[in-house]
Amino acid sequence: MTAVLLVGFLVLMLAGVPVALAMIVASLAYVMISGTVPDFVVIHRMYGGIDSFPLLAVPFFILAGNLMNSAGITNRIYNFALALVGWLKGGLGHVNIVGSMIFAGMSGTAIADAAGLGTIEIKAMKDHGYPLDFSVGVTAASATLGPIIPPSLPFVIYGMMAGVSIGQLFLAGVIPGIVMGLFMMATVTWYAYRRNYGRDATFSWSALARTGADAFLAMMTPVILLGGMTFGVFTPTEGAIIASAYALVLGLAWYRTLNWRMLAKISMDTIETTATVLFIVAAASIFGWLLTVTRVTDAVAAWVLSFTHTPWVFLLLANVLMLVVGCFLEPVAAITLLVPILVPICQKLGIDLVHFGLVMVLNLMIGLLHPPLGTVLFVLSRTAKLSVERTTMAILPWLVPLFAALIVCTYIPEIVLWLPKHSAAMTEAVGNFFK
Amino acid sequence: MSAAPEGEEGTERVLGADGRFHVADEAVRLSVYAWEDWITLAVFWILAVVVFYQVFTRYVLNDAAGWTEEIARYLLIAVTFLGGAMAVRRSTHIQVDFVYRFIPRAAGRVMATFVDAVRIGFFGYAVWLTWLLIDRIGNQRMAVIELPIGLVFGAMLIGFALMFGRSLQVACKHWRQGYSALERPEYGDTP
Repeated sequence: MTAVLLVGFLVLMLAGVPVALAMIVASLAYVMISGTVPDFVVIHRMYGGIDSFPLLAVPFFILAGNLMNSAGITNRIYNFALALVGWLKGGLGHVNIVGSMIFAGMSGTAIADAAGLGTIEIKAMKDHGYPLDFSVGVTAASATLGPIIPPSLPFVIYGMMAGVSIGQLFLAGVIPGIVMGLFMMATVTWYAYRRNYGRDATFSWSALARTGADAFLAMMTPVILLGGMTFGVFTPTEGAIIASAYALVLGLAWYRTLNWRMLAKISMDTIETTATVLFIVAAASIFGWLLTVTRVTDAVAAWVLSFTHTPWVFLLLANVLMLVVGCFLEPVAAITLLVPILVPICQKLGIDLVHFGLVMVLNLMIGLLHPPLGTVLFVLSRTAKLSVERTTMAILPWLVPLFAALIVCTYIPEIVLWLPKHSAAMTEAVGNFFK
Repeated sequence: MSAAPEGEEGTERVLGADGRFHVADEAVRLSVYAWEDWITLAVFWILAVVVFYQVFTRYVLNDAAGWTEEIARYLLIAVTFLGGAMAVRRSTHIQVDFVYRFIPRAAGRVMATFVDAVRIGFFGYAVWLTWLLIDRIGNQRMAVIELPIGLVFGAMLIGFALMFGRSLQVACKHWRQGYSALERPEYGDTP
């Protein structure tokens, strides 16, 4: 009976039926055959799955990210990144990473980052004589930062599905994001010395100050968001709304980089992404519910616990599973499937769910680049007009810093949990200050 | 955004000789959007105004308007289901297409046609199921506002109906052109 649910879902999904539809159609088939509940309950469950206030963070983080992704703001941020790190050996490689880190503080997805910023980063590096494989590799690697550094769409979905505070998850991503950035910059430096790359700018305080002032208001978006959440001034949902309003005022009135036609296009993009993401969340709420009531999740948990009770062994196995799932499935879809199965096991083993959330999202991000099937890999192969095989070879070395970051984050939970733990104390301090 | 002004690729440098970035915005094409997308756009911006009003009342007036939270949730549901039609028309619903890289073209055609059939079948049935749902519990009241919950289900019904219509249209198009976005992601339905 449960075979209808599981096999049905897998077959439909692999055949190319949209993931959300595969979940709903399999669930519908199960409900109709088992006859436990009337079949319109499926629709009611879908409604219930997205009837939630925290989910409002989804459209508004997407909107804020899209609003900030205009040419005017991109130029300002890259000029600043160039003044900041362009004078290092392998200059534009570092600029690529720092630029992506700043943008990661405004947007919450990886694929959009790879497609939008990636085109620009690769073109600029090509103009300055960097080999295409190096440019593609560093662009792919830095695209993974998008959802790790808050705000992050995958964290919103994970937090909702696993019942974990989204604010805590966001804060958990800050230090790992910086660690990843540093590991990648170390890799750039290694390449630069090995291949003898030059510098792309000369350092000057005046250039840094000038470009910094120019980009200041745009870079305040991540500062407002992070500061507001660290000190408990607002929730992630409110942060998303405030960031959107801020980005709108900045683009329409201050920088004047937006016009009404662009705003319409940005809104359409936002609607499209929101609809596809939330459709999956709606579908997962019926599918996940059936996985639980049919005791599939219990069976998986019992099976895993029959051969290991050690958290680190479980984390190792979970990492492997998530890496594999991550290269087949889009992150949000993967999260909605993995959470009902893996989170109960974490609870039994006493693994912190905020920590696990970060590890899961990081795995799924690496999965996006993972040869031979990662999504970012294909996006970049298309934008850089490089064959899939050559793109795979270009990205392969960049898995080293990413895996290093994954191992560090998996086995040193303090790196992930330090900021969320201390934010409570900081919130209190702010509270006392205003008293 | 594009790395260089359209047309003369390779002549314009993103990072100019002056040591500054010169990224240009891509030309906006709004003709790719259909009439229902503009309705969704209106709903989306009503949602944006409502949530902004909520944050404003909470922080500036220190008295959050209670009705805004509920209305915002319902508008988000409406945006999801109405916006779903855009995703169906442009084939941007998240799907897995890697199997298509490993099977012969003819087999891919058969499988992609099966996918179209499943989509049409499901959306059609979903319209009927949502109709049943409205019939059974559509008259219940919303929590804070004195309106029937059936209005929200109604938005879902319209969304499913639009998705049904668009999936039929897209299936015809796939049939005529001989491939779908699954088989050729680079020449998919996204214009």
